[in-house]
Amino acid sequence: MPMVEVLDLEKDYGKVKALKGVSFSINEGEIFGLIGPNGAGKSTTLKILATLLKPTGGSARIAGYDVVKEASKVRELISYLPEEAGAYKNLTGKEYLEFMAKLYAKDEAKAREMLELGMELSGLGERLNDKVATYSKGMARKLLIARALMVRPKLAILDEPASGLDIVNAYAIRQMIRRFARSEGVTFLLSSHNMLEVEYLCHRVALINKGQIVEVGTPKELKDKYSAENLEEVFMTAVGANISEPIGGEGG
Amino acid sequence: MSDFWVMAMKELKNLFRDKKLVFGLVIVPLILLPVMGKAVSVGMEQAQETTNVAIVNFDDGEYGRILIKALEVTPNVTVTVVNASSVEEAIQRAIEEKQNVLVVIPPDFTAKLKANETATVEIYGIFMSIGAGVKESVSEGRINAVLQVLSDEIARIKVKNLGASNPDAILQPITTVSRSVINNNVVGVPPTVVSGVIAAQAFTIPLIVFMMVMITSQMAAGAIASEKENKTLETLLTLPVPRTHIVGAKIFGTAMMGLVAAIAYMVGMKYYMGSFGLGSAGVSLEDLGLVVTPTGAMLFALVVFTTIIIALSLAMIVATFAEDVQSATTLVSAVILPLAFPAFLLMYTDINDLPSFVKYVLLAIPFTHPVIDYRYVLLSDYRPLVISLIYLAIMALAILYATARLFSSERIMTAQVSWGRKKKRE
Repeated sequence: MPMVEVLDLEKDYGKVKALKGVSFSINEGEIFGLIGPNGAGKSTTLKILATLLKPTGGSARIAGYDVVKEASKVRELISYLPEEAGAYKNLTGKEYLEFMAKLYAKDEAKAREMLELGMELSGLGERLNDKVATYSKGMARKLLIARALMVRPKLAILDEPASGLDIVNAYAIRQMIRRFARSEGVTFLLSSHNMLEVEYLCHRVALINKGQIVEVGTPKELKDKYSAENLEEVFMTAVGANISEPIGGEGG
Repeated sequence: MSDFWVMAMKELKNLFRDKKLVFGLVIVPLILLPVMGKAVSVGMEQAQETTNVAIVNFDDGEYGRILIKALEVTPNVTVTVVNASSVEEAIQRAIEEKQNVLVVIPPDFTAKLKANETATVEIYGIFMSIGAGVKESVSEGRINAVLQVLSDEIARIKVKNLGASNPDAILQPITTVSRSVINNNVVGVPPTVVSGVIAAQAFTIPLIVFMMVMITSQMAAGAIASEKENKTLETLLTLPVPRTHIVGAKIFGTAMMGLVAAIAYMVGMKYYMGSFGLGSAGVSLEDLGLVVTPTGAMLFALVVFTTIIIALSLAMIVATFAEDVQSATTLVSAVILPLAFPAFLLMYTDINDLPSFVKYVLLAIPFTHPVIDYRYVLLSDYRPLVISLIYLAIMALAILYATARLFSSERIMTAQVSWGRKKKRE
């Protein structure tokens, strides 16, 4: 059984059709990338899978559970990191991780274990005792990714995990994801418009444009198919060189 | 710890560590109100100190001397007789000797009284500095009272000399004895005093309730809007926690903060009122037979609590339509303020005196209930309180349910009020 199964997913925001029949599936342990320009429908797809939005049509299942009808079951399995997410400014980094660990863990020992893992993953050391309000953008993002991973979810949904970060921080975050996927066997669904990032991290990718999936395959398969040097060229060829102004929801 | 308590603890930490919030809600009322009260009471205390009265007597008759004697035995008044040849000189002397008041007895004082004419005494209040002038006005009042007594006494003697057997009956043909009937009991206190005591209460309770409703609803709105503004809401809603717990924890957190703020306000108000005895007028509620029993206090506390829960849930619903804290507080004020404001109308009127349409409209607003219920508490009439409580509980449940529903839908993610053209998509 695939970890994620998305079938003919549709989402309308009033008159705007953000998703027009999106289908893909993700196997257990896979790092799956959803790539496309701003407003292509990436964030909308992720928000539906994260149980935040309800689809207008089609269905989505995670580990066999319907994201609408069995939303609370789905929430126990996933960990979602929104794009541009924040943490509670008046809490310290450690308190934030502790708060999240207690909500996911069933007992004290498990919560402590999660907290320790989160502290290690964040790589923030002593700064974890400072209030989140004092963190830089990179530090806050590391804290949030550590939060998302420390609970060892069945599926981690990361929306633009390294967006807006400098090279050093973005690199560190990609390393964290890759190591964690290897060591823990967690399934990842991430979105990005950074083709390099996706090529580096993902086992398989889906190209999305104007609310529709254009191509799905491993980075190598896609490059071979389009005789392209990188995913950027694949994308440009697959969607046709003339990409008009994207439509769709804000940020995706 | 259950999900709810983990969430509630986070809310408490987040709220109580907000320095601006704590300063505005706890420190300000605890410091500002007593300081304001102190400032007023210092003026009052000064006024109660001994008044230094200078008297210049240009009259050598017997009545001038009687007046001086009468003033000398007046409490809190120190009389100094100054020798001067003119009023100007007397004023100068009074200033030099730091007197508060100068009383001038004119040369024809005794003569006029004897001739059955009206005699005039001049009183000068001496302002050393341009302050509030409480002292000078109080002194004048005190001297006027003395002169009134003296005047009555002289009148009585004169009437008696005219051969009347009962001078008092002629001078005051009609007297009144005022009593009040409160709660079927006759109390030997004039109605003006009773209404003064009740008015002081009637102003305080709506004011505190109004403040509490506004403050806590602003906080609840802020708590939701800051989740949106700091982009923590999306994460929160994907956690394996029932949405009802999320809503409940937020209400709990803000209600606790509201409670602390309420206590700070009550303590502050107590010092403020206590510092100049407002609301007592020498008569306590107990003297009037108006006693708050434990049952009454408990029922009233429940009414206030339920009202605040309604305000909090309502504020949370309103706040989901705002994008950031600032627009949330503006929106909440726009919605709650008109609802809470009619409570002020009841400071001046009894709800039962209003036309029935207005009465029921006011009763439909939850925030009216604590204001009117307080009066029933004083009268130990609990039936209206219980009815209020039932109505408020139904309202609270309905609004809580609506809030939980809103949090379970995707509207919490997508709802927003567009501010004219400004809110165009980027």
